[in-house]
Amino acid sequence: MSDVIVAGVGLHPWGKFPEKSWVEMGADVALDAVSDAGMEWTDVEAMVSGAMQWGGSTGMRSGNTIAAALGETGVPIANINNACASGGSLMRAAYAMITSGMHDSVLVIGTDKSPKGYFPSVPVLADEPRPPVDMVRWQVGVPNPAYWALEMRKRMEAYGSTEEHLAQVKVKNSRHGSLNPYARYQKAFTLEQVLSSPMVCDPLRLLEICATSDGAAAVVLVSEKKARRLGVNPPVKVAACSLASGEFGDPTIRIPLLAATSDGAATAPLLSESRLAAQMAYEQAGLGPEDMDFVELPDNSSWHELQYLETMGFCGEGEAEKLLDAGETALGGRLPVCPSGGFSSFGEATMAQGILQIVEVTWQLRGTAGTRQVEGARKAITEVYGAQANNSACVLTT
Amino acid sequence: MKQTPVLEGAFVSDPEPVLVGSRCRSCETVAFPASFTCPNPRCARKDVVATSLSRTGRLASWTTVHFPPPPPFVAPDPFVPITVVEVEFVSEGIQVVGPLVGASAEGLRMGMAMETVVEVYYSDDSGEVIGWKFRPTEGDADE
Ligand SMILES: [Zn+2]
Repeated sequence: MSDVIVAGVGLHPWGKFPEKSWVEMGADVALDAVSDAGMEWTDVEAMVSGAMQWGGSTGMRSGNTIAAALGETGVPIANINNACASGGSLMRAAYAMITSGMHDSVLVIGTDKSPKGYFPSVPVLADEPRPPVDMVRWQVGVPNPAYWALEMRKRMEAYGSTEEHLAQVKVKNSRHGSLNPYARYQKAFTLEQVLSSPMVCDPLRLLEICATSDGAAAVVLVSEKKARRLGVNPPVKVAACSLASGEFGDPTIRIPLLAATSDGAATAPLLSESRLAAQMAYEQAGLGPEDMDFVELPDNSSWHELQYLETMGFCGEGEAEKLLDAGETALGGRLPVCPSGGFSSFGEATMAQGILQIVEVTWQLRGTAGTRQVEGARKAITEVYGAQANNSACVLTT
Repeated sequence: MKQTPVLEGAFVSDPEPVLVGSRCRSCETVAFPASFTCPNPRCARKDVVATSLSRTGRLASWTTVHFPPPPPFVAPDPFVPITVVEVEFVSEGIQVVGPLVGASAEGLRMGMAMETVVEVYYSDDSGEVIGWKFRPTEGDADE
């Protein structure tokens, strides 16, 4: 089985780009990643691309749309949608194509433009016998951040977490984001500013929930053999790439569902798919959370950052706030969390955000992350968070 | 005025307002809304029937939504924040979300008893859309 090496990466600045199409953004990062790998467009052996629902029919086949724009070469193209876990799912698909020996190079593209505000539901067939639950939950009035707020309130009750903890997560990530020229928000917020931002779904405030953004990112993964031929230096290795889904009995009420059935045996934890994806990635890499120099986790909201520190095994249940309070999760701390600035600074562009994490980790492991460089970074894990219990984690090493 | 349920078969008002889900005759797993099958992966029989949930459950969490959700939510203008609650039905082993009625969020506390009611969600040209809501009640949750 061949090792999988990140040969090239490309990242578009994130924000709102009404003058530029998602196709152009995707084509830009694709060519950037190919050129960063020292390759030509015509050298790419296969492509996987995020099936972008907001782009309609051509968006759902974004890879073919981008290939048609840049020049069709007849390579296999797979378009995948796994909600916010799409980037990780694309990585896993590309990883499998290389470890299996099927291809020596795969281009991974995520490009996305998002509607403003809460993500709305996607239109469905009018003549289905029952309305889909995604329509009903909107009539009930449950936007995505409400699901996160429900979990956060339980956390406050169980562990004494405070609104200040939520705000401190944003203060930290905004400081990281202020050092990243690709971030949509490059402003370091104070605790007072975060705590005076409007409440959206209490206890979560506007600045503690990631915005919906336009963004694009691409990665070229290659086999060991191809990496040697290209002279990739330093070779950033994809040591693991996992994908997991939810387990029955998990108490998490999933976006966009209205209920969660608990298993009588109560064996599945909160965010079971995320815990599983992280465990699988550690196992595959032969490493543990204690080996990681930093982490890019899915800070879709401040609640996520606290919860994922536990879900990914960095501390016990209810202990994430202690790491935050001690400054361990800030740049310069023992385990910097989201040195890129995270989704809190970039906003979410669901097809691209998992790939954004891979780009950041690659730059960090190459030692080219500039003022936000994690000193001596050799190993890191990324994890995304997908609606309806999808999750993926990648471990990268050098 | 014509009344349409937000989800056909998901609740009844008579003899008392309760949610209606499905229950597996083989493993007792309850699902809401009702499923055509049993969601327990270790259950091979998957023989389900409609089942009424207890009327009263325990408050497991809540949040107040301060910005209007997009359609098909029908928001009054100006928008009045709505509180969404999560209620755990203990004997059924299921947690369900729904709008709060009959109290403000300030009066809520974890574990308090919440009862199911059926009320109007909104009105439009075709009549009223009705659905389930939860309101605080005296006494204990049904066990
Ligand atoms: Zn069953």
